[in-house]
Amino acid sequence: MEKEFLEHGLSLNRRKFLSRLSLGLGSAALGSLLIPDLFSGKSEAEDAIMAALPHFAPKAKRVIYLFQNGAPSQLESFDYKPLLQKNYGMDLPESIRMGQRLTGMTAGQDKFPLVGSYYDFNQYGESRAWISSIFPYTAKVVDDICIIKSMHTEAINHDPALTFFQTGAQVGNRPSMGSWLSYGLGSENNNLPAFCVLLSRGRGNGQGVYSKLWSNGFLDATHQGVQFSNSEDPVLYLRDPHSMSRNERRKMLDHIAAMNDLSFKEFNDPAITAKVQQYEMAFRMQTAVPEITDVSKEPDSIVKLYGPDCLVPGTYAANCLLARKLSESGVRFVQLYHQGWDQHDNLPSQMAMQAKDVDQASAALITDLKQRGLLDETLVIWGGEFGRTNYCQGKITLENYGRDHHPRAFSIWMAGGGVKSGMVYGETDEFGYNITENPVHVHDFQATILHLMGIDHERLTYKHLGRRYRLTDVSGHVVKDILV
Amino acid sequence: MARSRISPSAILENLLFVWFGFSAILLVGIEIASIPPFLQVLGRAHPLLLHFPIVLVMGGLLFWVLPRSYKSEAYAQIAPFLLLLGANFSGITVIAGLVLSSEGYEGDALFWHQWAGMITFWGGSFFYFFQKRKQNALQIPSILLMLCIVLTGHWGAAITHGEDFLLAPLKTAEPEVTLAEAEVFEHLVRPILQSKCESCHRDGKVKGELRMDIVEGLQKGGKSGPFILAGDLDNSLLIKRINLPLEEEEHMPPKNKTQLTEEEMNILTAWVNSGATFDQKVADLPEEHELFQFASKTFDSKQEYDFDAVSDEKLEELNTFFRKVNPIYPESPALELSYFGIAAFDPKSLSDLQEIRTQLISLNLDKMPLGNASLDFLNEFPNLEKLSLNFAELSQDKLERFPNIKSLKELSLSGIQLSQVALERISGMKNLEKLFLWQTGLSAEQKANLRAQLPNTEIDFGFDGSDVILPLNPPRIKQERILFSESLEMELSHPIPSVEIRYSIDGTEPDSLSSPVYESPITVTSSGKIRAKAFAKGWIGSQEVSSIFMKSGIKPTEYRLLTQPNPRYQGDLEETLFDQIKGENNHTSGEWLGYSEDPFVAELMLKESHSISELAISLLYNESAYIFPPTRVEIIGWKNGKSTIIHSEKPEQSEKIGEIRSELLSYSLKDADFDKIQVKLYPIQSLPPWHPGAGAKGWVFVDEILLN
Repeated sequence: MEKEFLEHGLSLNRRKFLSRLSLGLGSAALGSLLIPDLFSGKSEAEDAIMAALPHFAPKAKRVIYLFQNGAPSQLESFDYKPLLQKNYGMDLPESIRMGQRLTGMTAGQDKFPLVGSYYDFNQYGESRAWISSIFPYTAKVVDDICIIKSMHTEAINHDPALTFFQTGAQVGNRPSMGSWLSYGLGSENNNLPAFCVLLSRGRGNGQGVYSKLWSNGFLDATHQGVQFSNSEDPVLYLRDPHSMSRNERRKMLDHIAAMNDLSFKEFNDPAITAKVQQYEMAFRMQTAVPEITDVSKEPDSIVKLYGPDCLVPGTYAANCLLARKLSESGVRFVQLYHQGWDQHDNLPSQMAMQAKDVDQASAALITDLKQRGLLDETLVIWGGEFGRTNYCQGKITLENYGRDHHPRAFSIWMAGGGVKSGMVYGETDEFGYNITENPVHVHDFQATILHLMGIDHERLTYKHLGRRYRLTDVSGHVVKDILV
Repeated sequence: MARSRISPSAILENLLFVWFGFSAILLVGIEIASIPPFLQVLGRAHPLLLHFPIVLVMGGLLFWVLPRSYKSEAYAQIAPFLLLLGANFSGITVIAGLVLSSEGYEGDALFWHQWAGMITFWGGSFFYFFQKRKQNALQIPSILLMLCIVLTGHWGAAITHGEDFLLAPLKTAEPEVTLAEAEVFEHLVRPILQSKCESCHRDGKVKGELRMDIVEGLQKGGKSGPFILAGDLDNSLLIKRINLPLEEEEHMPPKNKTQLTEEEMNILTAWVNSGATFDQKVADLPEEHELFQFASKTFDSKQEYDFDAVSDEKLEELNTFFRKVNPIYPESPALELSYFGIAAFDPKSLSDLQEIRTQLISLNLDKMPLGNASLDFLNEFPNLEKLSLNFAELSQDKLERFPNIKSLKELSLSGIQLSQVALERISGMKNLEKLFLWQTGLSAEQKANLRAQLPNTEIDFGFDGSDVILPLNPPRIKQERILFSESLEMELSHPIPSVEIRYSIDGTEPDSLSSPVYESPITVTSSGKIRAKAFAKGWIGSQEVSSIFMKSGIKPTEYRLLTQPNPRYQGDLEETLFDQIKGENNHTSGEWLGYSEDPFVAELMLKESHSISELAISLLYNESAYIFPPTRVEIIGWKNGKSTIIHSEKPEQSEKIGEIRSELLSYSLKDADFDKIQVKLYPIQSLPPWHPGAGAKGWVFVDEILLN
């Protein structure tokens, strides 16, 4: 009998407990009404993050990134290695290679014959930086740039390496650097997108560029890079349809906005206001873009500076000129891609052609920004996605050779916007294979760019699928040595 | 039977669960909650409410702490109820506190206060239910709970009054240090040691026999040896230990303690590296010294500008789609302003800037049509440092009365024509640090004078280009097709409108003197090749461009290939030659016949009625793909079984790798009537030495033979 009493007591308690628990649950549910997004997954005090941007006084306001797609050889541009010329044809010592993985293209080679630069090198400027003879114009502005000879990356093939450089991850679902900056800093000029993309193609062996490289990833679609086309209409679908006047277009937009406003009142969906804003932006771009893409008013000295190709739409020179025009009009991030740098073979002939196409205009951009007083606040970056091997891929002759992909060491340059000028940073061993001094990882590079733009790379985050993401993933150190 | 009455205790017990749920949800989501105003009021009542649980819970708990002899019957009855009431008030207070915390409180004190408060609430409630069942051994838990209440209160006070509030009267205040007074050890290094090291290496807790709270201790080192060796990073234990991987047992500070930041490590390293002095003043170091840089960041970041910031509302009002104004960084009162959109510019809007005349330090009016607008108003901007007017449209008389802005450090006037008077105005601005005068129409003499007048100003006259002579890029040839039946129209163009395009269609090389100048579209009626070059004053003539055009002709009655093309490039075999389809400039398109080992030999049968005057062969050249001109072309005519060699010649051979291009070799047949013609093309057998594939066999690619 005692047992029954006890059991009764216990079950009563259990029932009581559960019923009381339901009271607690009820109040929890009541409390959750205060937190509209608690269970929807979306949340984050994003506004608070955004309100604090930039995190400190920025050195650079805008970036122009001259991406040399396909990976130009550092050994024929900025990393002079006389030893390779001396040891022509000798096998790469295993003590230097140290188990570096190879691409499928050279993994089968039984020998890795060293090969030096086909072109001569000379020292230039006050920095006495070594630059090869195929970059004569870059050599002239050497005291305005900072050459980093100690870049390294994790990827060994084009697509992952490019994606890594642009988005901080090798798989393509993250926002591009320009999108992060658009998200973090917005546009200076509200009549233009904050992130513009310009493409050109050289005559060397090329690799593809894909729109995922300027994707907004999980960020709002307004942060996507806007690709300018090489045709008569640099921004597609921007013109008014035939026989529609600007006033009619204005009226139409007003009516659409009124209707959108009605549905916003009904559903309260912020996507509706975002859409209205995009229509308005496009309307303003209708006057802003032609103002910028018109090159007919550029003075003759500009044609001489960039080279006459700058008037031929779709060339690298024309894109450099357009990049300057976009940038001075307040576009936060202008991204160029120039294809054709993948010299697995025929390097001596192809690389000279490639350099001829980009050298003058790249240097011109620096000079042009400088003479307008804009270089101090504009960061210019020139470089590819990885480097090239110090040994020959395929058949080697004195006149002809090729180089495979090399992620362990390569060169890029940066200029303006808070970067020290006339500097050569980092060093590689005499084989040009490993970094011996001041390595700069891709995430360090990205952290440095964000730093120059006034952003702490660890604090520019976005919560997606339950975790916070950032451009530099979980690493990256600002390369303070190259900052002014 | 009397109707059972619900006792107050039962209600309060149930209410406890309500507070549980409510506080739990707030704890999880307070950062993202949107608090309605009435709850905000409750939150702000937190400092009032908190007194109830302190008194009630303490009053209740005291019962279990007291020795047995002090416990009266009445107290025994009231104590549990006091505790229950107190626990309820703790719940309400916790909720109010959580709501209040959303109003921008943060920091360590908040963290500890919040959790101690939660423990008080949970602990008090649990204690209440527990004491109903068990009465003994409750002394220690109740003391712990009381301690928890005290700590909650302490941390709460730290939030409102500051962390050091309680003990502040016992400390002496430290004066603010300026960069000029700062010492390397005292103000850069020591604070790091104090916050990250001294808790274990000080008087009373000398771990590793190392004391870091006194200079002598640092100099002496600990049991593992010398701690600081001036300039010797590799052997100074301080540097060695902080650089060990975190997992190493000897890594300092220990894994579970707060770690040094990157900057702190850099400071310590720079200090040891530069001699580990104890009395060096920062101001005595050279400016580029690493420690100076760190110090200037720490001590000088206070405030660059001492004027007040403009209100956010004002900023919002000044920002339009065509005018961007923002602080130079978030906390700065200094503003920068840019105008965008030439079409939308209204000079009147400049008067709005008066409202931020004190705060504006940078103004950008690039390209804006200022017209007759006066810049005089800028005289009243006391802090304007940077003014950019590149390519702005500004009347000459306004320029000649250019304001002399004393505070201006950087001025950009590129693209504006400056008269001598305007130039003199500018040469009076002695404070300028940077001046940009590209494309301002100044003579060499004027430039030299200006440099002399402004010796401290960095002047950039930019790139002139008039003495640079570059090759022009080639003109473009636009033709709708290559094969035509009657006539074909061709257009030439060049991106630079002022150049002269000269061309030929007779096979001669165009030159700048005798070749015709292109004016309007060219119409051709027979096969041939157009060659064109661009010329302009101050430029080197362009490279030549050329393009072929082919009049489709007579198809022979019968034709065949006597040698077979390479199986990879055999198109439609002999049909390819007369399909009237011009192959694209791509040898793998399937429209080309490729020969490398054997010469190309084709035989064409002709009818008597065919009177052929011309034979043309369409070829592809692409040296980088080893495709070269044939080394020899032979055309042999047959009449009644007798053969005559009509042509046997060596076409011009390539000397470098050129663009991929189509070429047309035309030969006159002198109207002789043959009944059979043989065409032979010999591919190059050994590529020239300059070619990457020197010595290898080259190729010939043919796609069409035209008879007219």
